[in-house]
Amino acid sequence: MYPRPIPETNRSARAAYVTLVTAVLVLWLLPLVTVMLTSLRSFEEVMAGNYWGWPKSFNLVENYTAVFKQTALARYFANSLIITLPSVLGVLILSTLTGYVLSRHRFPGNRLVFALFVGGNFLPAQIMMIPVRDLMVGIGLYDTFFALIIFHTAFQTGFATLFMRNFIAALPDELFQAARAEGASPWQTLWHVVVPLIRPALAALAILTFTFVWNDYFWAIVLTQSDAVKPVTAGLNNLRGEWVSAWNLVAAATIMVAIPPVAMFFLMQRHFIAGLTMGAVKG
Amino acid sequence: MMRLWRRHRHWLAPTLFILPGALLFGIVIILASVQTIWVSFFDWDGVGPMQWVGLANYEQLAEDPQFYVSLKNNVIWLGMFMLAPPLGLALALLLNQAIAGMKFLKSMFFVPLVLASVTVGVVFTWVYDPTFGLLSLIYGWFGATAPALLSDEHLVSFAVVIAALWPQVAFCLVLFLAGLNNLNEDLIGAGRVDGARGSAMLLHVVLPQLREVSFIALAVTVIGALRSFDMVAVMTSGGPFGSSTVLAYQMYEQSIFSYRFGYGAAIATVLFAIMAAFIAWYLRTLLRPEQETA
Amino acid sequence: MASVEIQNVEKHYGGFHALKDISLTVDEGEFIVMVGPSGCGKSTLLKTIAGLETVTSGQLKIKGRDVTHLEPGDRGIAMVFQSYALYPHMTVEENMGFGLRMAKRPKAEIDAAVARAAQILRLEEQLRKYPKQLSGGQRQRVAIGRAITRSPDVFLFDEPLSNLDAALRTQMRVELSTLHARLGSTMIYVTHDQVEAMTMASRIVVLNGGRIEQVGAPLDLYTNPVNLFVAGFLGAPRMNFVAAKVSSANGNSATVVCGDNLKIDFDDLVETPAAGSSVTVGIRPERLRIGDPDAGNSFPARVNLTEYLGRETIVYADAGSLSTSGSDSGTGVFTIQIGDIQPFAPDTAITVGFDAGAAYLFDSNGKTLSATKPVTKI
Ligand SMILES: Nc1ncnc2c1ncn2[C@@H]1O[C@H](COP(=O)(O)OP(=O)(O)O)[C@@H](O)[C@H]1O
Ligand SMILES: [Mg+2]
Repeated sequence: MYPRPIPETNRSARAAYVTLVTAVLVLWLLPLVTVMLTSLRSFEEVMAGNYWGWPKSFNLVENYTAVFKQTALARYFANSLIITLPSVLGVLILSTLTGYVLSRHRFPGNRLVFALFVGGNFLPAQIMMIPVRDLMVGIGLYDTFFALIIFHTAFQTGFATLFMRNFIAALPDELFQAARAEGASPWQTLWHVVVPLIRPALAALAILTFTFVWNDYFWAIVLTQSDAVKPVTAGLNNLRGEWVSAWNLVAAATIMVAIPPVAMFFLMQRHFIAGLTMGAVKG
Repeated sequence: MMRLWRRHRHWLAPTLFILPGALLFGIVIILASVQTIWVSFFDWDGVGPMQWVGLANYEQLAEDPQFYVSLKNNVIWLGMFMLAPPLGLALALLLNQAIAGMKFLKSMFFVPLVLASVTVGVVFTWVYDPTFGLLSLIYGWFGATAPALLSDEHLVSFAVVIAALWPQVAFCLVLFLAGLNNLNEDLIGAGRVDGARGSAMLLHVVLPQLREVSFIALAVTVIGALRSFDMVAVMTSGGPFGSSTVLAYQMYEQSIFSYRFGYGAAIATVLFAIMAAFIAWYLRTLLRPEQETA
Repeated sequence: MASVEIQNVEKHYGGFHALKDISLTVDEGEFIVMVGPSGCGKSTLLKTIAGLETVTSGQLKIKGRDVTHLEPGDRGIAMVFQSYALYPHMTVEENMGFGLRMAKRPKAEIDAAVARAAQILRLEEQLRKYPKQLSGGQRQRVAIGRAITRSPDVFLFDEPLSNLDAALRTQMRVELSTLHARLGSTMIYVTHDQVEAMTMASRIVVLNGGRIEQVGAPLDLYTNPVNLFVAGFLGAPRMNFVAAKVSSANGNSATVVCGDNLKIDFDDLVETPAAGSSVTVGIRPERLRIGDPDAGNSFPARVNLTEYLGRETIVYADAGSLSTSGSDSGTGVFTIQIGDIQPFAPDTAITVGFDAGAAYLFDSNGKTLSATKPVTKI
């Protein structure tokens, strides 16, 4: 291990180390902590300019209820879920198929197709903005959930294909030969052999895709207009404009928007890290 | 029919499997990207007929001062973002200890990474607020008044990039921690036996083993810098007076707000060219080791 | 009826010619072992029979049916892989029944087939376990069990024992031979281990560089290799090879000279080499004797090293200018195998002798010229 581990016997060094790390962590997360604190304050306190003192009253429940009752946040939340969950499902299905074929089948152009998936996944979103927006307007999906679901599914399939292909390519080839020799059809091989073996990859991909799609802002403002379809990220920015002086409520909304991906991250941390590094480092 | 299927399924089935993903990605992502280049040769308001103008959009672009502001800001983003890998590595070196509780502390460090860029933007708008932000508090301790960073033409880009660095450093931290976990213990041991320690160890034994991870950290950082849009949109909308725009934002603004889709497409194409050069380099490096073994 | 017929099969991987005009007929119930050095195309040949690789040209028949273009699952074969290829997410029972489940057979039939295979392979106790809970030998048996449940016309094995340790390997070898006797099915078995080949095969196929060198019963091949490659490949320790010149040739007899002055007479040659041509003389280590100056041919040598294996003794001896080529030891010394324990200190001067009838003669292309030797009937 590098750096050299602090010996278990040296308790004071360990305590000092943990204290140091905690201090760095507090600094690191300070911006977020101040927002959290603000989200607990009352409106009067915010108006009076008490941003940094100890909150006079804790308005946790009031503020967070108010955000849902008085603003469209609940609607935005529902929209985000309606957009994110089908996109994740779509990406998992499509990338399992593409990853399986690209990793296990030799055909001319295999490498080119793979390179297109990988390369396309790095393109800045602005490159495809005009045609995609035009396409969605053209087929009447602009400002509907479908516009975002279709786009996110398509775009995330690029990264997910890289991920799945590398994961499946690392599985022992003889398992696939055995399945074929046993008479399993390609579909049976996929369902009975590939899918059970790639469960960890599916979990990692699910959480990564969830985070990416949930956090998207650009496409939210390019492909939607109305509150009825806007996801939370675009919604939050709207709220900020509407509730300029009610900082405590905006803060509460900000925290609410952050909670799903952070919660997902803590629930499936192992998969998230594995996914991120594996996706980046290639299987 | 059944026989025909059985005889050909070994290639028909994979074709059917790959088709949905390939078509969707091909049309919505690849084709659309190429189409942008096509659009850049037209004058188009996004609704009416398209008017062929050849290279006129590019000629205009070459004379547009705003374009150079964007370009300059993209360079600032790229340059400042280069801090992310070393900072991430430094944090990783600090955190790579197996002590009870470290797992939790480490995950807390990762939090900025999973925040939406809108969230980061809002959080930092707060930090920079000249009257009640974190920054004003710190200046207050020293009896000074905080500058209004986001309304200062010269500082605004740096302020936005610093906000954007927060999650980017977390990303590099994750990568480097993973890299440090995969170090070859034997080599480290050999280094220790040979008397290498501290920075000599880092330089000669550890860093060479982190080459691949560093390459990836660098790549995601460059791509992140070129893609920058959300933070600019949320924190400054390109202001004040367009001083914090980047190519991506200028392109969005020209198309959506000024209905100059052809012009926007030309900006996107320039961005595309810069990115394509980088992606080509990345893909070559990524795919090369496999070609050698194949 | 022939069980497997391979006719003029060719396989190219891009520019690489992996199988060269392979033809072979396997009879019902035979145990065919394919041997050859690593990379000679054994697995490739097995996979083309299985249908996991397509052939570039040629034809494959199983039980008289042309299967050249059929999917593996439709060929009536079952295959056992080197890494066992057990599905880690399935129990032993599920692994063994996989093929039948995929073919949508009735549950009762699958259960019966699995129970029968488990009974044959003594796996009844393990049926509910997962592969990772089994020992190497047990995993190997599950892999074989998976093949048995499908009741294939032909069993294909690709180096199935090479991941086992020596003791288990011997045990599994015996078990496989027993299984073959019990099922009476056709089996094609690939290995690079000549002991497996010699002990298990009804016929051995020696492959080299994508080509079949020789096909025959193990002792036939051992006694009468058609060329230098087969002679060298079968037998451990390896045959001693010495470069020689033909000093005189007459009818189907010839005299050759090895080194400076070891003269060997060959009679009843299959083909007579031209006088003056370069040839190779081969002699198996167990046919060399020490300290027998009266033997037909003998030469002086010095002991380099002696290995005492208990059952036998191996002496490596340096015969000066008379040096061997391509030996196991990588040097020019002679390998002599003695059937009991005899002490030879290093540097002892010895006389090495052999019967003229024990020697082989190969022409410069490696083709065997010496007369066919009688094979012990078993
Ligand atoms: N898919 C492939 N593509 C190209 N060459 C291959 C492929 N599979 C095998 N080969 C080559 O064919 C030769 C025979 O391989 P194989 O049949 O696996 O040998 P072995 O006798 O050791 O089983 C080797 O030289 C190998 O490199
Ligand atoms: Mg092989």
